[in-house]
Amino acid sequence: MAFPNVRLSNRPLHFIYLCDCSGSMAAQGKMQALNQAIRQSLPGMADVARENPEARVLVRAISFSDRAFWHIPDPTPVTDLVWTDLQAGGITAMGEALELVASQLSSPPMEERALPPVLVLISDGQPTDDFERGLSLLMRQPWAQKAVRLAIAMGHDADLEVLQQFIGPEPFPRLPEGEVPGASGHQPRMAARSRSPRRPLQASNATSLAQYIQWASTAVVGAASRPASRLGGEELHSNQNQSNIPLPDLPPTLMDPTDDIGPLVW
Amino acid sequence: MLPEGSDLAFEGLQARVTIVRGLGGGTQGQVFEVDVAGERMALKWYFPNSIAADPNLERRLLASIQATAPNPSYLWPLALLRPAAGESTRLPLAVQSFGYLMPLRPPGYIGAHEHVGGLVDISLQTVMRSSFFLAEAFHDLHLRGLCYKDISLMNLFLEPSSGRILICDNDNVAIDGRDPGSVLGTPGFMAPEVLLRQARPGANSDLFSLAVLIFRLLTRHDPLLGSLELAIRCLDEPARRRLYGEDPVFIFDPRDDRNRPDPEAHPAALVTWPIYPAPLQVLFLQTFGIGMKSPERRALTGQWKQVLARTLDQRRLCPHCGQETFPDPAAPGRCWNCGRELGPGLALQLPHGLVQAAAGNELHPHHFDNLHPQGLGNPLARLESHPSRHDLLGLRNLDAHPWQALLRNGERLNVDPGQVCNLAPLTGLVTPSGPITLLR
Ligand SMILES: Nc1ncnc2c1ncn2[C@@H]1O[C@H](COP(=O)(O)OP(=O)(O)OP(=O)(O)O)[C@@H](O)[C@H]1O
Ligand SMILES: [Zn+2]
Repeated sequence: MAFPNVRLSNRPLHFIYLCDCSGSMAAQGKMQALNQAIRQSLPGMADVARENPEARVLVRAISFSDRAFWHIPDPTPVTDLVWTDLQAGGITAMGEALELVASQLSSPPMEERALPPVLVLISDGQPTDDFERGLSLLMRQPWAQKAVRLAIAMGHDADLEVLQQFIGPEPFPRLPEGEVPGASGHQPRMAARSRSPRRPLQASNATSLAQYIQWASTAVVGAASRPASRLGGEELHSNQNQSNIPLPDLPPTLMDPTDDIGPLVW
Repeated sequence: MLPEGSDLAFEGLQARVTIVRGLGGGTQGQVFEVDVAGERMALKWYFPNSIAADPNLERRLLASIQATAPNPSYLWPLALLRPAAGESTRLPLAVQSFGYLMPLRPPGYIGAHEHVGGLVDISLQTVMRSSFFLAEAFHDLHLRGLCYKDISLMNLFLEPSSGRILICDNDNVAIDGRDPGSVLGTPGFMAPEVLLRQARPGANSDLFSLAVLIFRLLTRHDPLLGSLELAIRCLDEPARRRLYGEDPVFIFDPRDDRNRPDPEAHPAALVTWPIYPAPLQVLFLQTFGIGMKSPERRALTGQWKQVLARTLDQRRLCPHCGQETFPDPAAPGRCWNCGRELGPGLALQLPHGLVQAAAGNELHPHHFDNLHPQGLGNPLARLESHPSRHDLLGLRNLDAHPWQALLRNGERLNVDPGQVCNLAPLTGLVTPSGPITLLR
């Protein structure tokens, strides 16, 4: 005498890390910080997966340096995931990494029905190969267009332009509160604007990197798996020109985001 | 945000509050286990930006705190907390914020998603009881003129041993129709008119959400996900808007078969729906049929309570396969599980109800007094099988008074509180609440 052995039907949610493993990542412990951040985020990601029976969360990872490789080639349920450390060394084949993702987002191998995939690109530098070609191959895939694309810039040498291209068109730029456009006589810096998940997230130290990875692997996975609570003030179609799921707020940071305090760890 | 182990002073609160540990974070803030003068409670602490986004939050919370919990199923706000003046140096960010204290969820409760996701073993009776408690919680809330607005699986917890529920995240509760509030609800649980922004959330939209939740508990499936979902490749916001707002079709709508469950993709709905008796199915058909577009035609909380309570009374164990079934006593028909005839069964006739004699079924005050509100909280008796001789079925007296059992040979037997009497030799019982007659 028991509830019949059935469960809510679910759809796959593909979550793919694209990790820069170029030589510069070896400096100031950046590679270790990224390995740690991802490894530490997995239990939280497993909790979110468990809380969302409508989604089957499947994780993969690509590493790119001289070439791009599948670091985790098989879509792996997060509870089965073992993170082996990425090693730094070489140049930055980011374009090839995008090509690799593109090949996996065409159907097949992509399932016919799924939830929006989540792609997280993490880089500390500039692509050294044909980024444009990789991006255009990727964006030809309907599943890539539907995907939630996030980018994390590690340190200050990351190419924010390229990361923004990956995310898609920048949202309407917001000036810091109280600032009149043009009044200060200079363009506000990227970092000086309010943070948005539709812009590259700037991780200037290991703590903020871990926070962003945690946010992407929990809050964003939750938002992509199930509808979120909706507020009345939101515009009916706000966000929708940018993405097909409403993105959760970024984690509040202890440091003032407009305050450029420079690197703490590297 | 609030450091673990810290000991904080709050405005207007004598006792200091120790932050024991973080319990989790949501979109609006974080929840901590705290110690207040030796008592463990939960503290929800808001992110400053979510307070900014919801200017009525503080007023709403204060009104809820004053109104007090409508029913024990709510983890209701007990007190609003603001850091005392001196704490600003220790908590630079937190001072711009506030939070509220509520009871701590005791161990043993699981998120409702664990059941829907098939991760727990649970009986049909337990799930039916949880559904009743949920309807009762909404009933008591609505009777106070309040509405919940944003119920979803994420806010609901169940105790698998008893079916008791706890509802958390009560900060959107408001007086029906008065406070516009900021929350609309969660797509999939929200009524279509709210999703399409043709109406504000209120008691009538709660009735839609309640039906969705009960359906999801009873079937482990979504009432609006059927064949129409199969045509959608990427299930994203625009797709959900269509399924849940623009063209919502109940998967078992007798007048519209476009959205029938697919045997491959939606087996849970097809397996579980036939388990439930017609009066229960009718409430879904009503709420997701005519009630889909006419909010005032949705099944009411009182109807859910009544039908769920009666369904619990109808519960029988199949004599062939042992599975729980809920057949119409007048026409038991076949077991949904093994397909064999159930045949007639032993039942207890009460002044206001008929309860099938199946281990686990209970007699409640409303069975004896129809002025007593339907409730499962204080059973007067429970049917139990003998600990070693499972073929013997007895009735345990959970009343405070002794009962008289009437034996077939005309003798009378005293059944003290806590004792179990074997039903086999009885014709009935006499209790201070009223007579119990055995129907064979
Ligand atoms: N009274 C309580 N006792 C124990 N745990 C609780 C209590 N209230 C909330 N929690 C837990 O704290 C976490 C966050 O709670 P809650 O859902 O209220 O946050 P939230 O910010 O309102 O989230 P959202 O609005 O996204 O649902 C959840 O894991 C919840 O189970
Ligand atoms: Zn059977």
